[in-house]
Amino acid sequence: MRLLFVALFSFFLSVPAGFQSAFPVRFQIKNAGITVEGHFSESSFDVQFNPKDLSNSYLRGKVLPSSINTGIGLRDKHLQGRQYFQSASYPEVQMHSKRIRSLGKNQYEGVFEIQIKDFRQDKTISFSAIPKGKGYEFEAKFSINRLDFGIGEKSLVLGDEVVVEIKLRKE
Amino acid sequence: MGKNKLVQLPLWTWILAILPLLAFGVGKGKWGNFSVQFIQEIPRIWTDLAMKNWELPNSNPEFSAQPVSEEFYYSLPERVIFKTYPVYHPDYEPDGYWEWLHEQEAEIVFDPKNLKTEEDWIRAGELLFDYPIDTLGAVIGTEHVRDRDFYRDTQMPLTSEGVMPFAKWVVAGKGKVYLGNLSCGMCHTRVMEDGSLLKGAQGNWPGDKAFAYALEKDGASEKAIQNVTGFLFSSPFVAGDPHGKLIASGKDSLVAAYRAVPEGAFGRQGTSILYPPQAPNLIGVKDRKYLDHGGLGQHRNIEDMMRYIAMNQALDFLNFYGDYNPLGLTKERLYSGQPIIFPGTYDRHSDEQLLAIAKYVYSLTPPENPNKLSTLSEKGKIIFAQQGCVTCHTPPLFTNNQLTPADGFEIPEEHYGKYDIFDISVGTDPGYTLNTRRGTGYYKIPSLLGLWYRGPFLHDASLAKLEDLFDPARLRGDYVPTGFKPHTVKTRAVKGHEFGMDLGKEDKEALIAYLKTL
Ligand code: HEC
Ligand code: HEC
Repeated sequence: MRLLFVALFSFFLSVPAGFQSAFPVRFQIKNAGITVEGHFSESSFDVQFNPKDLSNSYLRGKVLPSSINTGIGLRDKHLQGRQYFQSASYPEVQMHSKRIRSLGKNQYEGVFEIQIKDFRQDKTISFSAIPKGKGYEFEAKFSINRLDFGIGEKSLVLGDEVVVEIKLRKE
Repeated sequence: MGKNKLVQLPLWTWILAILPLLAFGVGKGKWGNFSVQFIQEIPRIWTDLAMKNWELPNSNPEFSAQPVSEEFYYSLPERVIFKTYPVYHPDYEPDGYWEWLHEQEAEIVFDPKNLKTEEDWIRAGELLFDYPIDTLGAVIGTEHVRDRDFYRDTQMPLTSEGVMPFAKWVVAGKGKVYLGNLSCGMCHTRVMEDGSLLKGAQGNWPGDKAFAYALEKDGASEKAIQNVTGFLFSSPFVAGDPHGKLIASGKDSLVAAYRAVPEGAFGRQGTSILYPPQAPNLIGVKDRKYLDHGGLGQHRNIEDMMRYIAMNQALDFLNFYGDYNPLGLTKERLYSGQPIIFPGTYDRHSDEQLLAIAKYVYSLTPPENPNKLSTLSEKGKIIFAQQGCVTCHTPPLFTNNQLTPADGFEIPEEHYGKYDIFDISVGTDPGYTLNTRRGTGYYKIPSLLGLWYRGPFLHDASLAKLEDLFDPARLRGDYVPTGFKPHTVKTRAVKGHEFGMDLGKEDKEALIAYLKTL
């Protein structure tokens, strides 16, 4: 089952509560004490999810760093440059589950491999999958250290930790 | 051919050049060598090794500056520092001052043997900061500053005592009173609104207007003006050769180009009057990693500052850029052993003198800021962070000390490892950094400290006030720049650095209130 973000757009706009965002992948980072929020406007997901058959379930996602949006155009352009995402050479950021286990009551935990540029890291992430209609609403919030992925350098003002939020509906 | 250019100097230049020299009596034996014996270690700054990689390459690396050799440099005689006296506007000159000056004997005021403490060094540095390295009439001469029209025409700032602080009288012997140009203080001193002086601040010397006045008053020939403009700014290796075109445009247009440079900017040699560099604030320069708007000189330690001073006062006239030398010299002529009689090139500061100036510059501190913190400025502080200004103008220096590439410059791969780069262009006018001898392809991110006592703003001084920076009208072609505007246009967009421009009126006011507290 494949779900394109484009398909989500209208849906999220009509359901503001809980899913206030039109963009499935959002992030936050502290810059000079202020929380900067941003999102990737282009992302795609490939989901195979069956709570009764977790060993054959998977969640995969991609975002295009070229679609990063922090509200300041020049900053976005800089984030795509070689000191950050280097999107010309690495057009995609990827994430996929390696295994998933249940924590009970719509709660799960997966080991995900995250790949940004040539950096890969396995990360254990909790998420919820709430049945909605014929499908599910997935939600996860986790943090990564941008320095583990070669995203910029150590900085006095910019935090290392990036909080990532993914909210996604799969029919 | 270029080789003969120096020989073809127009008469007026030669007269200006040679008369004071003869009067000074720059004979061979007259330059005493100081012997130094105290604990202060004196770095030897102009070594072939150190000079090799100190500056960044030119934006067109084939034409990166090649400085004179260590041997040549240290064979230049050291500068002798005489006592200087203030220049008054004719209406303020005390009675009998001029005659009195002519009765004074020369007094040598710098002797490193007398420097025992750090304070001694700094005080000596201040004296050198105010010491003109030129008495050949490099910018203006005696007859100009003794003429009321000069002050009116150039709108020359004066101190509350009626002193014109940018030039000095140098007494080189009884009756030998010369107007001295090109002290650091000429371009790095500001007359404040209350008539006080702020040394080291972004200067407000209308230097190019003064030069234009002098050229016209002296009836300099077209050829003379073309030659001197060539010495100062020619960069024939640059695509389209904009300075060649400027020079070819003739006398009136050249004079207009000098006049177009506002106070607070100055066409320093190797830069341009087409893209004039803002005279930087030296208060706080100790903490900056790169010197000049393009970051040409690395600044890793006090020796680099000494190198910068030596190079820019004014041995860069002797640099080769590829095969090109601004004075039309060949390498044979340069190394022939004959002195090159041109302002700043026939002598040098001693390493002791350079150290003293550098120590003084490092010791500069800002005056007390009258703009106190307020609720408005606190709001502005948050906006400063929200708008992402902090990323580039990072506290406490209010610069991250990085270089941004200008539009049209491809960052060479090897620069990433060598220099501190923030790899996005802010989109300001690339002319200075792509088309001049000092151009590197970059603009450094400037410190915002001291904005309240400075201006005009941006590397080319194109905006008079901070408010103008956030005015979206400046991006349009029908905008009249409030600071520098090229002599050929009536209106022009001041593009780039489009940060904080979409803010509402109140947010802008808050942001500006905050900027003025820095
Ligand atoms: C005739 C004017 C003039 C004189 C004289 C002069 N300067 Fe400057 N100075 C400038 C200008 C203009 C710049 C900017 C040049 C550029 O960016 O291309 C500058 C740049 C500098 C810088 C780099 C600062 C920075 O933040 O980039 C330093 C340091 C400096 N000058 C120190 C001195 C000292 C010390 C002296 C005396 C020994 C001196 N200058 C004499 C005009 C002058
Ligand atoms: C991407 C880095 C970057 C960001 C973000 C940035 N600036 Fe700048 N700023 C620069 C550079 C580079 C210059 C010099 C440009 C030039 O002169 O061509 C500059 C120049 C300035 C100047 C003029 C300083 C002078 O001495 O003339 C001011 C004032 C300023 N910035 C304020 C701000 C404010 C306020 C913000 C946020 C709204 C901001 N900047 C955001 C890089 C940045």
